[in-house]
Amino acid sequence: MFISGFIYILGETFKGLYRNRWMCITSTGVVMVTLLMLGLFMVVNLNVRHITETVKEQVEMVVYIEEDADRATLEELGSLIANHREVARVEYVSSEEHMGRLRQQLGGVLEGYDTDLDNPLLASFEVSTEYPEAVVRLADEFETYPGVSAVFYGQGYVENLFEVTRVVQIVGLALMAGLATTAVFLISHTIKLTVMMRKKEITIMKYVGATNWFIRWPFLMEGLLMGFVGAVLPLAIVHYLYRISVEWVAVNELMFINLLPLETVMAELSLYLIPLGIGLGILGSMFSMGRFLRV
Amino acid sequence: MVEAKNLCMKYGKGKQMALDDVNFFIDRGEFVFFVGSSGAGKSTLLKLIIRELKPSKGALKVFNRDVSRLPRHRLPYLRRNIGMVFQDFRLMEERTVYDNVAFAMIVIGSSRREIRRRVPHVLNLVGLQDKAKAKITDLSGGEQQRAGLARAIANRPAMIIADEPTGNLDPGTALDIMNLLRSINLRGTTVLVATHNREIVDHFKKRVLYLENGKLVGDEQKGIYTNVH
Repeated sequence: MFISGFIYILGETFKGLYRNRWMCITSTGVVMVTLLMLGLFMVVNLNVRHITETVKEQVEMVVYIEEDADRATLEELGSLIANHREVARVEYVSSEEHMGRLRQQLGGVLEGYDTDLDNPLLASFEVSTEYPEAVVRLADEFETYPGVSAVFYGQGYVENLFEVTRVVQIVGLALMAGLATTAVFLISHTIKLTVMMRKKEITIMKYVGATNWFIRWPFLMEGLLMGFVGAVLPLAIVHYLYRISVEWVAVNELMFINLLPLETVMAELSLYLIPLGIGLGILGSMFSMGRFLRV
Repeated sequence: MVEAKNLCMKYGKGKQMALDDVNFFIDRGEFVFFVGSSGAGKSTLLKLIIRELKPSKGALKVFNRDVSRLPRHRLPYLRRNIGMVFQDFRLMEERTVYDNVAFAMIVIGSSRREIRRRVPHVLNLVGLQDKAKAKITDLSGGEQQRAGLARAIANRPAMIIADEPTGNLDPGTALDIMNLLRSINLRGTTVLVATHNREIVDHFKKRVLYLENGKLVGDEQKGIYTNVH
């Protein structure tokens, strides 16, 4: 029973695809273009996210200590910051170390000055947080601690970076949702035409006692295959284009463009695009069949 | 086997009653003609029996179950016990006779062995054993209706419903098809035929239910079309 039904469904799927081959090729092509756009956008989005995350990880704050803070205040402040649950790493930098760094940065400019006697630089704690987004809030909190002179974290720049990242992600999600809806519409439209062409057959199936699922399966499989092919081909194209891009960035030594490795991008993309293609195909067929099954 | 009690059917508000307070009982193994002019309610009645439509009022029992209360997912199992024959044959034209008959069996999940054994047998019963590999489009009208009959009996249904089965056939072929239906009935299958064909009804002298404007106006055993009219 199972075998004859299964062979029938499989046979009908391929017969259906063959009978309407031009329509299937056209709609798979359109689905492919849609998923290719989606894939390319995902690649851009993944890399923008990667680059902003990298920048975000570099966001640190510097907590400057008051010049007249005594040793006990310094130790208490150090332990308060280090034990804060949102703080990942703390490093104490004395005023002498700051001067050393400055000397290094300025080269010979400070030659001849006795900076040990008249050092205007304040000692500080350099703090990395668990989440970059916590920086702004923690800076406000640390400013109220005793012995703190000022807190710097790139005010303005960090807020802008977070805002841009948020907007990029929201726009990305909206665009992806739009493209996915288009793909569902296209697959649904193609399968609807297939179903209409086979309306007579479906009516006969209902009269001889076929269950709705028995009728649905070949159409679901058609949608599934169209979605699968429509996802695999864009993956191959994205793979080719991304490989070229990574090589181009390497050849031109544009090291500031910190692209994700090819394997990571393809793994991430396959994880989303193939189930998405299959899901869209199945969803499209489900939408197209509803009223034809009411015989 | 089929029992109608105060059965009413109206297609929409303000429309005339397609069936109006119809009552009858058909027993297992009967051969019944539903006769009447176009629009009398014959096809509506058959559609109610296979639950293609739901009655507006009253009860209709098929195989001792009120079909109007049958949940949608149980419909396929009701229809597996009913073989349908149509005036326009409703065959898959681009396929062979064998495929059309086998299709009805595949749909209900018969095994491949059962299908290989049963299809030649039913084709033999309707006299199409030599046409198994022929495409439907290569058959005459009478042969197409035989293929339709073969498909209807493939799953050994308890009842055959034929809606104007001879409507598209010449008198000689029509008689052949009716003889086939009679022989199927003689094997114990209940046969319900909706028809206008006066000659056929008069020739076979079976039970006749006469419908007029949705009302059952005559029910006669061994009736003839002219009598009940």
